[in-house]
Amino acid sequence: MKKRTVTRVAAFIMAAAMALTGCGASDAGTAQDTVNKSASAGDGEKIKIEYWHCNGEGQGGATVEELVAKFNESNDHIEVVAKYNPDMYKGLMQNLQAEAAVGNTPALVQIGWSFLEYFSNNFAYLEPQAAIDQYDAEDSTFLTDHFLPNILELAENSDGGQVGIPYSLSSPVFYYNVDLFREAGLPEEGPKTWEQVMEYSEIIKEKTGKYGLYIQEPSDNWATQALIESNGGKFMTADAEGNVKATFASEEGIYAYQTWADMIADGTALHISWEEGVQAFNSGEVAMLYTTIARRSNIQSSAQFEAAAVNSPVWEGKERVIPAGGCFLAITAQTEEQQAAAWEFEKFLYSIESMAAWTIGTGYVPPRKDVADSPEGLKSFLEENQMMKAATTQMDAVVKWTSFPGDAGLEAEQIMIDVRDEILNGDVSARDGLTKAQEEINALLEAQ
Amino acid sequence: MKKIKEDLFALLFILPSLTAFCFFMFWPLIRTVYLSFFDWNMIKPVKKFVGLQNYITLLQDDVTYKVLGNTILYILILLVVNFVLPYIVSFLLSFVIRKGKSFYKTAFFLPSVISLVVGSILYVWILNPVTGPVAMILRFFDMQLPIWSKSEGLVIWILSLITSWKVFGYNFIIVLGGVMGVSQEVIEAAKLDHIPNYKIFMQIVLPMSSSTGVYVLITTIVQGLQYVFTPIKVVTQGGPNYASSNLIYQSYHEAFTLYKTGEASAFSVMTMALFILLLVLEFKFVEKGVYYEN
Repeated sequence: MKKRTVTRVAAFIMAAAMALTGCGASDAGTAQDTVNKSASAGDGEKIKIEYWHCNGEGQGGATVEELVAKFNESNDHIEVVAKYNPDMYKGLMQNLQAEAAVGNTPALVQIGWSFLEYFSNNFAYLEPQAAIDQYDAEDSTFLTDHFLPNILELAENSDGGQVGIPYSLSSPVFYYNVDLFREAGLPEEGPKTWEQVMEYSEIIKEKTGKYGLYIQEPSDNWATQALIESNGGKFMTADAEGNVKATFASEEGIYAYQTWADMIADGTALHISWEEGVQAFNSGEVAMLYTTIARRSNIQSSAQFEAAAVNSPVWEGKERVIPAGGCFLAITAQTEEQQAAAWEFEKFLYSIESMAAWTIGTGYVPPRKDVADSPEGLKSFLEENQMMKAATTQMDAVVKWTSFPGDAGLEAEQIMIDVRDEILNGDVSARDGLTKAQEEINALLEAQ
Repeated sequence: MKKIKEDLFALLFILPSLTAFCFFMFWPLIRTVYLSFFDWNMIKPVKKFVGLQNYITLLQDDVTYKVLGNTILYILILLVVNFVLPYIVSFLLSFVIRKGKSFYKTAFFLPSVISLVVGSILYVWILNPVTGPVAMILRFFDMQLPIWSKSEGLVIWILSLITSWKVFGYNFIIVLGGVMGVSQEVIEAAKLDHIPNYKIFMQIVLPMSSSTGVYVLITTIVQGLQYVFTPIKVVTQGGPNYASSNLIYQSYHEAFTLYKTGEASAFSVMTMALFILLLVLEFKFVEKGVYYEN
């Protein structure tokens, strides 16, 4: 009797141990299948390809499914399986790493801008022009026909190779509270330059007692880059040998940063976390908000007043420069059959109709040229959604989101975030803070 | 023979929890110590051995000391709010207040069942210095709520407050159990002799419930720091300029924001050493005076 109890206990323990180790082994498979059942229909002839994306529920996931289903129905030889990867582009990259290690990659993947260098250094991919030449030769000018050169450049790595085609694009835009503008007697069409923004902020503070401006402060320097580079500064400069250096502490950069800090010091601008800042704008306590177009639907549904958006402001006499957010699509299929199918699907995703559906479903700006004006595209949507125009009409000014190269990149980004708090809290001047940060980052870059 | 059999049998019963401990505590622990001697970013195929360099870098970094200072401030605040205060409230509820006891118990305990992430988001809204309800009420009295999420010092107080809101209730219920366990006759006798309340608390209740007290003391320090992690992550990400980071968040930040696995591991190992030291001190000085009923 006793012996049997012992065996039972032992069996239980073994089962438990197996359950535990079992959990460990399945880690790599966190990507979730969202196979479109209606299209598969047990047809063995079809080529099956995987499309990996990061669009969860409420972030365009429904649009991905809708586009994939439409594609699967429209053709008889390819079946696309969309796989959702949690934790955004970083999560997708980790899953891709695991799959590549066992020699099994998806056909088409979304790659976030900040992973451009890392992806092109570590994974095998097919350049879009090569895919076109090989599988779609009669449409060999597809890329130059449909995309602006500065947009294509976003997906170019430091060796000049076209890694993929830009797909999801966001840019910073300038939102403002029209009701407060009216109350303060300011022009309803909003500001065009940062100088006007300063002037308007003071008037708003004086006439209404509200804050003038809030510039987003998340854990990255996306908006800061736009502010500095629109004044003619440069975050990062490469020399003839391709060695890069941080150069944001130029006179232009310091001036732009100090202006922002001064506005905070005299109470016309707000220095607060991103979430609180957007809340403050939405409840009418801050008149102007500088943040991403991806916040559009949130602002439209929460603002209790008439809100409008205009292009990202420039500094007087300077050119507009704004960094892109989002991702590009890269072909990671390895066999010819899969590559051909991947290109066919990718081309479908870049059609005017698909691009329009993508913009409506996600709020991203279409990377392709003629989507905004086409009747099958966004013409009617944009007429109803004036805010979206702020982003679609500034595409010519979009540049790469600066990421410092190599392992030091993340630390460099952190140094910029730390110094932002120091400057905006008034602990150091923009000149001292930026110069020190620039020296630290350059020391890091040299050391690697 | 029988002895061996009994020992084996005992071992068998420990095995399930021992297995879990090995997988989720001892193995990661050994691994962390191992990784602290390497320069690695979790992706690279090769780990570069750097000896004690990670430890030296950390000890030379001002941020480490700033974070250590923050951690001590967090501990002090949490001790007052989550250890001293529950004790006093428990005493009041057990021996001084007569009415509405169950209402207080429920009201105090309720927040501890709500997720701290939800709590943090709620507080960001409640305490928004420009638009939150607290700011509105203050404005009515012509006062302003400072922009706490960007103010050094103040940010630690507010994040501690958010954490306390969650931890207080649980600690309170535990302490209350200990305090109510003190025999009613002793208290009655003391009251007959007109011993003032503060003396009853200090000289009777405190020593007699000290076993519960020590437990709550340690959990306040250890768990409190872990709980603070959530509001830091949700509200400030350690900012402004590390003013709200603590030892635990800083390890996480090094590991999963900057991918400096080696330095993060070294940081964790040092944090652990610090806590071991605290525990040794506790065993040496506090444990002796503790009263265990059985």
